[in-house]
Amino acid sequence: MSQASPSSAAASVAPVRFSPKRVWTLAYATMTQLMRMKILPFLLLFCALVAAMGFGFSTINPEQQLSQFKTMSLGVLQVFSIVFGIVATALLLPKDMEDRTLYTILSKPVPRFDYLLGKLLGVLMLIASGLVIIDAVLSLILWLQQSMLFTSAVSQLHSENQDSPEAVAQIREIVARQGLTWNLHWAVWAIFLKAAVVTTVALLLSCIASSTLFTIVITFCITIIGHGHAMIREFVFQPNLGSTATRIATFLLATICPDLAQFDVVDSVANGEIVPWAAVYEMTGIAALYMTVYLFVTHLVFVEKEL
Amino acid sequence: MSDTPAVSVNHLTKVFKGHLGKGAFRAVHDVSFTVQPGEVYGLIGPNGSGKSTTMKAILGLLNATEGDTRIFGIPSMEVASRRSVGFLPENPYFYKHLTGRETLHFYGKLCGMSGDELKSRAEEMLALTGLEDAATRRVGGYSKGMLQRLGLAQALIHEPRLLVLDEPTAGVDPSGSRIIRDLIIEFRTRGITVLVTSHLLEQMQEVCDRVGIMAHGRMVREGRLNELIAVENQTELVLENASPDLLAKIDALVKAEGGGTRLLRSGHPRTTLERLFIEATNEPKKP
Repeated sequence: MSQASPSSAAASVAPVRFSPKRVWTLAYATMTQLMRMKILPFLLLFCALVAAMGFGFSTINPEQQLSQFKTMSLGVLQVFSIVFGIVATALLLPKDMEDRTLYTILSKPVPRFDYLLGKLLGVLMLIASGLVIIDAVLSLILWLQQSMLFTSAVSQLHSENQDSPEAVAQIREIVARQGLTWNLHWAVWAIFLKAAVVTTVALLLSCIASSTLFTIVITFCITIIGHGHAMIREFVFQPNLGSTATRIATFLLATICPDLAQFDVVDSVANGEIVPWAAVYEMTGIAALYMTVYLFVTHLVFVEKEL
Repeated sequence: MSDTPAVSVNHLTKVFKGHLGKGAFRAVHDVSFTVQPGEVYGLIGPNGSGKSTTMKAILGLLNATEGDTRIFGIPSMEVASRRSVGFLPENPYFYKHLTGRETLHFYGKLCGMSGDELKSRAEEMLALTGLEDAATRRVGGYSKGMLQRLGLAQALIHEPRLLVLDEPTAGVDPSGSRIIRDLIIEFRTRGITVLVTSHLLEQMQEVCDRVGIMAHGRMVREGRLNELIAVENQTELVLENASPDLLAKIDALVKAEGGGTRLLRSGHPRTTLERLFIEATNEPKKP
């Protein structure tokens, strides 16, 4: 062990700056901490559920079968990512405080913003990893199913002596539109963006609230309200609806809650509609804006928080 | 050595705001003290006396309502002040999924360390705290004493000049407690300043150069340990080769007699820190 060095006094005056390396250290530790919360078996269970759903729908016609599969699996994926984001984030800060890990971390030269960002990134990295795995499983199942459905439809046409090149091409086009396309990945990306925004809201609330349950319940409420943002806006801008006080309260609600309907592309993808690049950019930009604003407010709250 | 105190607390007052109809609570009231570089300073007091609040203010975890706290001259609220400080909280827990070595690497990286420097420093700290054999075990399986030693190792990982130890021997068995006491003595010989709180007053008496006693959020005694525990209205005589008869006539003999009897030391006998603590903390609360 070396002697304490008086010469280090001069270096101590330099301010501690934001460090991506430090943020990564915290994010990685958060991710591994959450991995220990038995998330992997849950993920495997979800994959098995998706696989079962993929082959479990009755064959109505190829188009409907593929559409139903996408609607169900993407819907469950959306719920999974939001629930995970909220619960994991709501637990992290109180747990670090309870275990005094927060004290040992913040008594090191670690700016509070680095800590917050590290925690948020850790949760988002785990959600992203889970979504990538499930996206791969989903893509594989969809591709297998689309191949099987195409073969079976062509065989049926053949047995009915209706397998003209035009009929086969039509079947191929229907199956291809509803099968594995980039649209599926954009839907998964949209699900990630929505979960990321909700996770940032949960982080903000966990800095304000002292109870984990409160954070979880209020974040779920904000998530639900966020899906009806368009209705709230409509109410606010209709002068003949409600009293002024009600409209002011609704306006505040609309300001606080994110418009989560902006990320709802699952139905379009399930219906085989093309998600344009512009829509992807727009969703990404909106999510980035929401996250920046919520993270900024979270920082303002956390930097003044008495630990 | 620099003249800048390792820790300076100037008229620190901390009032916690009341919530939901509860009144505000004054946890620390106008507390001032300094810790000089290289000293072991003991902050003692009963539960609820404001020690932990004072420590948190020193570490920048709490904002002072009035007054200020500095570490080596840098205000505690500046993150840069924490480059020079290592902190061991009471009953620390660490990420259970990490091993002892990984835990030290984690804290080292937070301090901007990396590569061979971090690896060798972590090994050095594991050796210092006697955790080499447990380095690859997950922290979740560590005993309380091992967690406490790992806490010391993480506090020292970035070679701080000041160590802040909150109840470092809480819940640790006597042998583990002795190891920690020896480590504190070792830190002093290496020039590391130590600010420590503990309820084990005998140990504090063994390791501290100066102490501050807090009660009801105020500093009720503060100074060099030897001076504080001196009893002012008594005189101690230490004799060599004194017979029982001689003891009976001691006053006269000491004044008149020379020869084989010598007055070796004259001064104030010491009470114990424990007695002083009880006396100080039982004084009536000031308004």
